[in-house]
Amino acid sequence: MESKTTIINYTHSQAGHCESGATSNLFKFNGLDISEPMAFGLGNGLYFSYIPFLKVQYAPMMSFRNLPNTVFKRSTTYLGIDHTVVKKIKDPGQAMDALDRNLENGLPTGLQVGVFQLTFFPPEYRMHYNMHNLVVFGKEGNNYHVSDTVMELPQVISYDDLVRVRYAKGPFAPEGKMYWIHGKVAQEIDLKPAIAIAIKKTVKEMIGIPFPLIGVKGIRWMARDMKKWPKKHGNEKASFYLGQVLRMAEDFGTGGAGFRFIYGSFLKEAGEIYNHDGILEAADLMGKTANKWREFTYAGARNCKNRAKPTEDYGHLGDMMLEIAASEEMVFRKLEKIKL
Amino acid sequence: MGKTEQTPPEGAPQEEKYYTYNREIFYHFDKEKGYTRANDYQNSSNQVIIKQSWDAADERLQEVRQRVLAGIQSPVAFFMEKRLLEVPMLAAYMEIGAWRVRRHLKPGVFKKLSQPTLKKYADIFGITVEQLTSLDFIKN
Repeated sequence: MESKTTIINYTHSQAGHCESGATSNLFKFNGLDISEPMAFGLGNGLYFSYIPFLKVQYAPMMSFRNLPNTVFKRSTTYLGIDHTVVKKIKDPGQAMDALDRNLENGLPTGLQVGVFQLTFFPPEYRMHYNMHNLVVFGKEGNNYHVSDTVMELPQVISYDDLVRVRYAKGPFAPEGKMYWIHGKVAQEIDLKPAIAIAIKKTVKEMIGIPFPLIGVKGIRWMARDMKKWPKKHGNEKASFYLGQVLRMAEDFGTGGAGFRFIYGSFLKEAGEIYNHDGILEAADLMGKTANKWREFTYAGARNCKNRAKPTEDYGHLGDMMLEIAASEEMVFRKLEKIKL
Repeated sequence: MGKTEQTPPEGAPQEEKYYTYNREIFYHFDKEKGYTRANDYQNSSNQVIIKQSWDAADERLQEVRQRVLAGIQSPVAFFMEKRLLEVPMLAAYMEIGAWRVRRHLKPGVFKKLSQPTLKKYADIFGITVEQLTSLDFIKN
C-alpha cells in the first residue's frame, strides 16, 4: 500500500439531499456557482413512483426521487459540461485504483455507496440502502477523506471500508459506480436553456407518463391503497407500512417531503433568473404542497405512536394524500402551460 | 478534519434516543419568508418514525431467536435478521443462489455445511465461525 498523501482543496458543505448536494459541491469546486436546489431541479431530481407488488424491508416499495445518478448526469448534460460516469467496475481493486488516479489528477470524485456499512454514518440510518452518494477528495496513507453531505464535517474512511460500501449488494447495488467533472469550467454558462429543458422533463415525468403508478397518479394510487391497509392487513401491519411511507417521506436523503421543498426552491431561483411571474407562482404553490407533505408526516407519526388505537384513521390520511396529489398536479399543470 | 463525535454535543435534545449527534439540513417554506434552509436535529415526529422501524426489526429478531433456539431454523436465519438482511441480498453477498440460502436456514442442512461456506457466512455477518455454530451467542 502506498503512503502518498493527496488532499484536494475541496469545500465540504452540508446539503439536504446527498446526490444534488454532491453535484452542487462538484460544480462549485469547478468554478460554477450552482446551489443545491438548482442542481436538483436541473437534474430532474423530483419524481414519484409506487410499486406495491415489490417489497423492500417488508413494505411496499416507493420512491420520491429519480433513479440514482440522474441528478448528476442530467444536470451536467443539460449544461453541456464535460463529465464522466463509470457505471460498473467488476474488480474492486481496479475501482480503487481508478479512484486513486483521479485524486492524483486533482479530480474530486463522486461515488455511489451503500449505507449499511458506512462506518461514520449515524447508526440509525444504517439500513441496506444503496443509493447514497459521497465525494472522495483526498487520500492519506490507507485512509480516504470524504465529503458526505449528510454529515456536518468531512469524514475519514479506510480503504477496506470504502471497498465494502462501494460493493454493497442488494437492490440498486452501486457496483463501484463513480463520476466526476473534467476540470474547471472556463466560460460563463447560461442557465436558461438548461432550466427550460429540465422543467419540461420533470413536468412530463410527473403528469405525462401514461402509467398509473408513476408521478401524481402514483400518489393517488398509494392514497387509495392506504385507505384499505387496516382492513386488508390489520392495524399492526398497516402501521408498519405507514411507517415506511413516512420514513421515505421524511428520512432517507432528506425524504420525499424535503424534495418538494428543494424543488420549490429551484423553481424560485428559476423564476428569478427568467424574471417570470408564472414560475414564481408555481414555486409558492410547490412550497405549500411541501408543507402539506410535512403535515401529513406529522399526522402519520401520531398514528404510529399509538398503533393499536390509531388517532388519525387511514381514511383521513388517504384523503390528505389525495389533496397533496391534487395540489402537486396543479403545480405541474401550471408549469406545463409556461412557454420558456 | 476529524470524525463526528458520537456523543451528543451541548444543546442537543438529550432525552431523545436518536439523532442527537449530527445535525442535518432541512428546507422550510413560509408564506412571508419564502424558502429557507436550516441546520437542525431530526424533529420528534421523525424520531417516532425511525424508532418504530427499529422496534419492528427488533421484534422480528426476537421471533427468529425463539425459532432458532427451538430448532426450527438454523443460526443463519438469526444472523441474517440481525444484520437486517433478506434472503436475496444474503445470496448476493454469498454469491450463491437464493434457493441454497433458503436451504441453509434449515438446521439439518446447516449442520452439514462445509467449513469454507461457514467461514463465508461468518465473514458476512462479522462474527467468527464458532459464534455462528454455537447457540451460546444467540441465547444472550
